[in-house]
Amino acid sequence: MASSAASFRPSMGAAFTRLTSNPSSRRIRPSLTQIASLSTTAPLLKRHTYPGARSNKDMSKSRGQSALRRTGLRWRLSVSDEPLPKPKSRDELPPVEVDPDHGLWDFFPNRETVAAAPEDDMKHGRAWMVEELRSKSWEDLHKLWWVCVKERNRIATGAWERERGKMGFGKSEAQGRDREVRVTMRGIKHVLTERFYAWEDAVKMAENDPEIDLSGKGRPFTPKEYLEEEGVEDVKAEEEKEVVDVRGPIEGEGAAIPSEGKAQGEAARL
Amino acid sequence: MQPTRALLGMRYRKLRLTTKDVNKGFYKGTGSGSMGRHTPRGGYIIEWNKVRTFVCPDLTGFRLTPFVTNTVKRTYGQYETKLGPKDPQEYLARWKAENGLD
Repeated sequence: MASSAASFRPSMGAAFTRLTSNPSSRRIRPSLTQIASLSTTAPLLKRHTYPGARSNKDMSKSRGQSALRRTGLRWRLSVSDEPLPKPKSRDELPPVEVDPDHGLWDFFPNRETVAAAPEDDMKHGRAWMVEELRSKSWEDLHKLWWVCVKERNRIATGAWERERGKMGFGKSEAQGRDREVRVTMRGIKHVLTERFYAWEDAVKMAENDPEIDLSGKGRPFTPKEYLEEEGVEDVKAEEEKEVVDVRGPIEGEGAAIPSEGKAQGEAARL
Repeated sequence: MQPTRALLGMRYRKLRLTTKDVNKGFYKGTGSGSMGRHTPRGGYIIEWNKVRTFVCPDLTGFRLTPFVTNTVKRTYGQYETKLGPKDPQEYLARWKAENGLD
């Protein structure tokens, strides 16, 4: 009412200044009679000690912490209350999806095992003879080479896994099989080299051959009968006519010279 | 590079030379082949014509295996000349017969 500033108590004056000076830092107070200007009291300033706490400093900051024994952390972190995933055992996991057409399957003899059993590794024939390979075309030899490479990869994978998994015997049988494959590969290389050398020598001979024209213009080959008689045309057509490329060797597609029994050599089985 | 203490003295000289030995001018390859050339500043330029590529053909439907059945006896070819399959004369004659005329 007709109260002057002198009738205000000191604590009341503090409340007024706070209200007028800084409205953003208002605090909700239950009553305006006794307002503390500090956030805490002297008794509260003394740090709270937990029962059983030590009075001196613990110099070892990681005391009691062990990753091996899974003790957990000593101090709480901001993420300590976050729920962490628990590891699952392998049986509980969903099965791994595998592509049935994946190329890496060719490294194994079958889908069940990583290495062939010795009794299965023993079941193989003999290596190809050079004579048998001579009648094969370039395409066949090229493909056979890569079949051999894949077989050797399979054998090597098996040997590695057998060693790693301590599976036992089988090295000797695998080596015998590998030997046959390598002999076949050797034969392929021999045939191709031989064919190339023969072609090189044949080209050299053809330069002196009157029937053959290597210039590139006109026919490469004119038989002797045609050289004598001009104007004769149309030879009886051959079975397979391929474009003659004087730079490339001919392919051995027919069994010209070797014995006929060799034709069964192509029936290659295990 | 220097060897460790265990190899001091003359012991290191009894070992085989490696790529890290000898100061300058000594080159020892690792069996991987030359794929290009060095630049004067220590770099390396790959020459793609030197890099080897492996061409695998399509093997679907291919029935030959690395082995031949043991029931087929080994038979050697019969050739008229001493050179046999290497004979260029035979090669040329065969070319004329099979491939000469289109």
